[in-house]
Amino acid sequence: MQPNPAQVSDVDLLHAIARRDEQALASLYDRYRLILFGLTMRILNSREEAEDVLQEVLLQVWRRASDFDEQRGKPFTWLVTLARSRAIDRLRVLGARQRLAESAAAEASDEISDAALDAYNSERRAIVSSALSELPDEQRRTLTLAYFDGLTQSEIAEKLDTPLGTVKTRMRTGMSKLRALLGKQLDNLH
Amino acid sequence: MAHDDYKQMLAAQSLGALDESEARTLEVHLASCEECRLEIGDWEETAAFLALDAEPLQPSPELRARILSSISTPMFERLRWDSEAAKVIEMPTVASRPASHWQAWAAIAASVLFVVSAIGLALMWRQNNENRKEIALLTNQSEQINRELNEQRDALTILTGPGARMTALAGTKMAPTAHATLAYDQTGRAILMTKDLPPAPTGKAYQLWFIAGGQPLPGKVFHTDRSGTGTLKDQIPDHALNAVFAITLEPEAGVEKPTGEIYLKSGS
Repeated sequence: MQPNPAQVSDVDLLHAIARRDEQALASLYDRYRLILFGLTMRILNSREEAEDVLQEVLLQVWRRASDFDEQRGKPFTWLVTLARSRAIDRLRVLGARQRLAESAAAEASDEISDAALDAYNSERRAIVSSALSELPDEQRRTLTLAYFDGLTQSEIAEKLDTPLGTVKTRMRTGMSKLRALLGKQLDNLH
Repeated sequence: MAHDDYKQMLAAQSLGALDESEARTLEVHLASCEECRLEIGDWEETAAFLALDAEPLQPSPELRARILSSISTPMFERLRWDSEAAKVIEMPTVASRPASHWQAWAAIAASVLFVVSAIGLALMWRQNNENRKEIALLTNQSEQINRELNEQRDALTILTGPGARMTALAGTKMAPTAHATLAYDQTGRAILMTKDLPPAPTGKAYQLWFIAGGQPLPGKVFHTDRSGTGTLKDQIPDHALNAVFAITLEPEAGVEKPTGEIYLKSGS
């Protein structure tokens, strides 16, 4: 499945942003806000922190769009990697995830799960979700602890009381399987 | 470490899951290995798809406006509104052509309105500038606090790590009141905190050394702030955990062998 062909491509949006086109930034935000906010919320568990980080990410995109090199990666990867890395940095500064979890518990009931993802992104999500469900639990857990909780392999080994070598193997095998499962679909997904 | 060992680390690096020393070793390898650089791009792409495992959520409607107003160039800056621009507007004088009383009053009223508006706009422009300065100042302060928090967190991680040790460094005749502490764990992760070091002259910086078996091994370079406080994270080489630690003043880019005076040194 391809993005709507009538839509300006992500690469063109980033080029326009590099030329200081504010409307292009607004379009990029509209296109990815649900995914990026979902991501920063999953990492930070707090609306306030997650929105703050999302604002920082868009500001960084505004300032650094000219650094984006389409030869080295896709805009989706660039954007998501930026958001994930900013959110993990914030998580580390804040220190205690538990502290946030407490304050978020009260907010959780107010969360609006938005089903209004466009068809293209809904399709991508379904493919990723199906691929992840095919991984053994312990491999999936290793990947999500690293990606969403920002834990290193040593920290995961300690948390799960598992030898470090086992964690390394699970992570490598899990990522290899995920890459293979997404396989050819990756190209069509973008 | 062999090329294949580095390849085994790429998937973990794309998830940000390598320990700091491993990540740093891999970065050095990536700088010189195109094959691994290309491969890590693939892993990063796979890792980015994990973001879609998070439930999509709607941020508050105000966030969009907040983002756009933070990037938007202030209107008055775009118009380059300044007193010079105001001077080029020539007001027609009432006496330049015959005019009735009401026309004259209307012209005066319009002039007064123009002047009042101009003053209002100038005041808003000034206020806007002050706000921007204030925001820049607060952003700087916030970044500084974040940096300090990160440094303290790093120090704590090392001090609570396995086999944590602390070594004091005393000032030499070059800086008799200076002192420093080097905290490190058995993996060699180290953090150095200095006090009362004089600021390094332009083009110079302080460099950490690990002296093992009489041979100085180079560490990283660092600067101090105005109060002589400096912090440096470094990795002690494997066989230098029991080394003597010293700090010299060197060219800013750092050197392979010490050339400058020793400012701080641990006991042998």
